[in-house]
Amino acid sequence: MAVCVAVIAKENYPLYIRSVPTESELKFHYMVHTSLDVVDEKISAMGKALVDQRELYLGLLYPTEDYKVYGYVTNSKVKFVMVVDSSNTALRDNEIRSMFRKLHNSYTDVMCNPFYNPGDRIQSRAFDSMVTTMMIQVC
Amino acid sequence: MKAEDDLAANCAHFAMCSRVWYKSSTPSSNTIGLILLKALLSYNYNIKNKDLFVLTYGALVAQLCKDYEKDEDVNKYLDKMGYGIGTRLIEDFLARSCVRRCHSYSEITDIIAQVAFKMYLGITPSVACRNSSRNEFSLILDKNPLVEFVEELPAGRSSLCYCNLLCGIIRGALEMVHLTADVTFLQDRLKGDSVTEIGITFLKKLEEKRYRRKK
Repeated sequence: MAVCVAVIAKENYPLYIRSVPTESELKFHYMVHTSLDVVDEKISAMGKALVDQRELYLGLLYPTEDYKVYGYVTNSKVKFVMVVDSSNTALRDNEIRSMFRKLHNSYTDVMCNPFYNPGDRIQSRAFDSMVTTMMIQVC
Repeated sequence: MKAEDDLAANCAHFAMCSRVWYKSSTPSSNTIGLILLKALLSYNYNIKNKDLFVLTYGALVAQLCKDYEKDEDVNKYLDKMGYGIGTRLIEDFLARSCVRRCHSYSEITDIIAQVAFKMYLGITPSVACRNSSRNEFSLILDKNPLVEFVEELPAGRSSLCYCNLLCGIIRGALEMVHLTADVTFLQDRLKGDSVTEIGITFLKKLEEKRYRRKK
């Protein structure tokens, strides 16, 4: 389903980035990087309203001709960015939301590992396998 | 509700102790032992708070790994702390469980597995006897709540006994009822074995008259 999944830290460097290894992965890395601006815009726009009304799921960040980029931000300003194939029209909002929720749960499990220092790259095998299931699900 | 008041008191004490710990550069094992004891007791009060003990223990082991380079040192320190906790925990255990006097080592091991582990960690390991003279036993844990969030030991720490605190607790508790025992990990899931196995070897019983508490 997803062709690229990235976890970005509060300081905007990647903690985890993985894409389907078919084409030039650099293109996906670039898309994730440019989407960070959109994420920041959305966060600051909503910040003017009451903070507790701000939702974690940011929705579609921007569509390109081949791909759509979705975003999700946690309360600790860790961002999850997902790039999905545009041709997959069967993918609905609920499914994207549930995928982000699964990502968030796996991320909290990684954080609870006492040997993981916050700010390190994520190297957990459980997290890897969860992302793999998300990438190969529909194909 | 009394349990929640106790829990609040525990958390307050825990917060205070952790500030004390953070400020001192070389925390005494006693202070840390008391912090962990409080966390362990609060584990029992409210099932939602079991994460408190698990996360506290994890943070402790991670910090010890940063402080000591050798795995043996970390294991030894954990054992020492566990000993301090065990000598105190036995009072709480005996007060709450009302077990009757035991007549054999196998009875004692059964009580450790079925009553003590169940009371404090919520699991019931199975007991196996390892030798014919009935003084070596092993506890086999198939589920260990302490390692719930730990996936694997970090690189370079392959001989770390993550749950060595448990060995110290058992050893300290037994010593307060005048029994000496050697408690070690025989198998560890984190090191690649299929189960986690704690071996208890009962040694000569201490004479009550000349009992001296060993540090």
